[in-house]
Amino acid sequence: MFPERRQRSFLDTRVLSRLSGFPLFARTPMLGSVSGRHPSPHRGSSVEFAEYRKYVPGDDLRRLDWRAYGRSDRFYVKEFEADTNLRCCLVLDTSGSMGYGSKEVTKIEYARRLAGGIAHLAIQQGDAAGVACVAGGIVRNLPPRRNPAHLSSLYDVLEQAQPKGETRIDEVLHELAETVRQRAFVVILSDLFIEPRRLAGGFQHLRFRRHDVAVFHLLDPKELSFDFRRPTRFLDMEGGPALFADPSEIAERYRKAIGGYLDDLKQVMLESAVDYHRVGIDEDYEQTLMRFLIGRARGKGAR
Amino acid sequence: MSFLQPMFLAAMPLVALPIIIHLINQRRYQTVRWGAMMFLLAANRMSRGFARIRQWLIMAFRMAAIAGLVVAISRPLAGGWLGMAAGTRPDTTIVLLDRSPSMQQTEEGGGGSKLETGRRQLVRTMETLGSGHWMLVESATNAPRELETPEALVATPSAGPVSASSDVPAMLLAARDYIRANKVGRTEVWICSDLRANDWDPEGGRWSSLREAFLEMSQSVRFHVLAYPRPAAENLAVRVTGVRRQPSGAGAELLVSLSIRREGADAKADEAATSSGDSGRRSIPVQVEIDGARSELTVEMTGPTFELKDHKIPLERTHVKGWGRVSIPADANPADNDDWFVFDEPAPRHAVVVAEDPQAARPLQLAASIPPAPQVKCSAEVVAPDKLAGVEWEKVSVLLWQAPLPTADAAKAVQAYVDRGGQVLFFPPRNPGPEEFRGVRWTAWEQPGKEASVATWRGDQDVLSQTQSGGPLPVGQLQVRRHCGLAGESTALASLAGGAPLLSRVSTDSGGVYLCGTTPAPGDSSMATNGVVLYVMVQRLSEAGAKVLGSTRELVAGPASGEDPSTWKRLAGADEGLSTDAALHRGIYRAGDRLIAVTRSPAEDLAPVVADDRLAGLFRGLDYSRVDDRAGNVGSLIQETWRLFLVGMMVAMVVEAALCMPRPRPSPAVAMVGGAAS
Repeated sequence: MFPERRQRSFLDTRVLSRLSGFPLFARTPMLGSVSGRHPSPHRGSSVEFAEYRKYVPGDDLRRLDWRAYGRSDRFYVKEFEADTNLRCCLVLDTSGSMGYGSKEVTKIEYARRLAGGIAHLAIQQGDAAGVACVAGGIVRNLPPRRNPAHLSSLYDVLEQAQPKGETRIDEVLHELAETVRQRAFVVILSDLFIEPRRLAGGFQHLRFRRHDVAVFHLLDPKELSFDFRRPTRFLDMEGGPALFADPSEIAERYRKAIGGYLDDLKQVMLESAVDYHRVGIDEDYEQTLMRFLIGRARGKGAR
Repeated sequence: MSFLQPMFLAAMPLVALPIIIHLINQRRYQTVRWGAMMFLLAANRMSRGFARIRQWLIMAFRMAAIAGLVVAISRPLAGGWLGMAAGTRPDTTIVLLDRSPSMQQTEEGGGGSKLETGRRQLVRTMETLGSGHWMLVESATNAPRELETPEALVATPSAGPVSASSDVPAMLLAARDYIRANKVGRTEVWICSDLRANDWDPEGGRWSSLREAFLEMSQSVRFHVLAYPRPAAENLAVRVTGVRRQPSGAGAELLVSLSIRREGADAKADEAATSSGDSGRRSIPVQVEIDGARSELTVEMTGPTFELKDHKIPLERTHVKGWGRVSIPADANPADNDDWFVFDEPAPRHAVVVAEDPQAARPLQLAASIPPAPQVKCSAEVVAPDKLAGVEWEKVSVLLWQAPLPTADAAKAVQAYVDRGGQVLFFPPRNPGPEEFRGVRWTAWEQPGKEASVATWRGDQDVLSQTQSGGPLPVGQLQVRRHCGLAGESTALASLAGGAPLLSRVSTDSGGVYLCGTTPAPGDSSMATNGVVLYVMVQRLSEAGAKVLGSTRELVAGPASGEDPSTWKRLAGADEGLSTDAALHRGIYRAGDRLIAVTRSPAEDLAPVVADDRLAGLFRGLDYSRVDDRAGNVGSLIQETWRLFLVGMMVAMVVEAALCMPRPRPSPAVAMVGGAAS
């Protein structure tokens, strides 16, 4: 009668249960369809007073504040803040470079764990969650829904995502900014191997559409240290030309290049007000998620 | 660069080892699927000037380290023996040592004479290079003798200084004969000499045959000339040019003539110095010692040479026979600062004229019997060729022979006379026959249409040399109406206009054998009517012959012909040597009742240095190298420099290690933690 519960490789129920105590907050007002725990740009019926305004014909008489009428002999309507749910749109980079992992965990596997955890938390607290797998374009898109049964479909998409193709996340971000309805929570999981200045446009487009953007920048430790010893033939995982190099000769310049890139990227993220998290895939993803959730709880409240 | 163990240089290709390892390492690459290609490509595009240079430097220093090691174990030598890189140790090393007086020259700063320095250098070099056998051919005897060790070259008395000149071609002949006789393997011949022309005789005819002989040898023979060619400026050489005793009013006096010559002096510069004033004038104290009694005189020398004629030294009337020495103060070469002489009443000059033509005999008899000075007693007797048995050869100073060349007993008697130091002047017979004497014989008479005159003659030496006043003999005025040819090996002293020899000398160990191509007969030449030349020739020969007759004798240092030096008793002398080598060391010796003065060769005072090109020409086609050293040099000619290369190797390794050290990483730029940018 019930579908057989599948064991997902990227899910750990113990981790999910421990994370359940940490709510996922949006940093900006969301436009949900139902009541939730996120601030809404509209007035609503929460317990949190917002303001008084003059009665205009047509207003619901039940919302008149009779006490104010008694004191001022004028009609005022008492308004309250509205709390709504959010649409969490997970953007999973499935380009070829996400398949790299110097140890047992690849970047895409790590991204699956993060995405699975965030989706679980979102749907658990009544928010909608969807996923878009992107590489050269949007490979697969699962729109956000808040139906718990939708979570299984989302996991399926995550599970089936394969690292393939080149990274064109800068173009994909523009497309997502237009297709995702305003005021969504966009979580990007990628290694962002693209020129930082080309990313800036996409992030600003998302901000313009009032999306709350968070980025998990996934990097393998070896990609930072580049501690190869023997001469190596590097095959491009995104299909580019191979390169033969002696690490002892090129390592220093490589580190200089990646150092400059990270500095530029950080600058772009600051300018675009993106919730940026640089994550080494050798870190415990539970800790990563924990830091992320706590950080967002601190930034909660802006409307 | 020379090497003692050049076979190790075969390992030099190991220098390519770092390159080979590098290439193998490149071949052993790993393949990695890589995501962050954009950074690799960026790194590849970045300027890599220093990085590339660093890689090249590392490679170069690795190669240099290996090269240094290989060179070090090959035992490199530093020095001027550039041609010595032949490799393996020679089988035999032959040292040709010039012991002549000029090799005793020293230079400012001390350190020993050229001979001592040369021996020292040779010992060091031979010890370094090693050899199977060491042979010494020294200039006094020209006989090869084996040295047990190189150090023996310093210790042996056979390598000390002597007063005799050297004969380098003869030494090379001895070396050649040794190599041939003993069939030695690879041979090194080292010639230690000061390159004096009189020792080397570069114009001599022996060099071409020597060169050919060495070129034909199957074994490898390498020549190394350790040269000390620098002359000593301001070195003075004194020589006694004449000594004669004459009675004076109260007693007697000794008339000593001497010459002082400055070595390395430029005649033009001296003339200029003389004309400009007294700047070239030098006062030289000359000490004269007669039988141990010394007197001193000071002479003023203004030019390159100084001549003192007939300096009178009083003697007692009874002091007839004795010896003396002339010396000047010490200078660069002690070997030419003194000269020795003996004096005695001159022996009577008795000439024997053997002539078949009375017209020729008479002028000869007259020329021989007229004394050149009042105190000289001259006589001449005419002897028929068949009456030779009655001649008292012990009293003959010159033999004048105008007859068929002696044969049989007559030839033996004449030969014995010559070997004893006698002088013979042969004139052609009426009918030249097949008779030979010492390899020469007369050929047919030639009578040109008109009288021939003498075109060339040796005015610098021998019987036709210039007079004491420097003027030439009137040889050119002689008219030769007919002359007789010569067959055999002889040296022409005078030649007619057509090239025919007029006066020739046959090479002898002692004595003199001369052959005149015509006779004094009026029908043959004008030698009788224009008798100056004939008279001078005869008297000079007679004088030379008389010298061996008296109770005193002057010998030029060298192998003494007709004498037994081992019986000599040394009265005075400069050099110390073995008694058997007395003839090689200048000084005064007594042999029975006779006094013998041994002096250095006159050529030692005059000989220039053989020019570089000429020396190279002597060894043309042979494996030859030359290094110029200077007297007193304390540094080695060659020395092993492997330590230098070992140090170089270590330096290369240290630099290579420094270049290979990783630079400190700028870790903050790629830190993972703290990446949040919210």
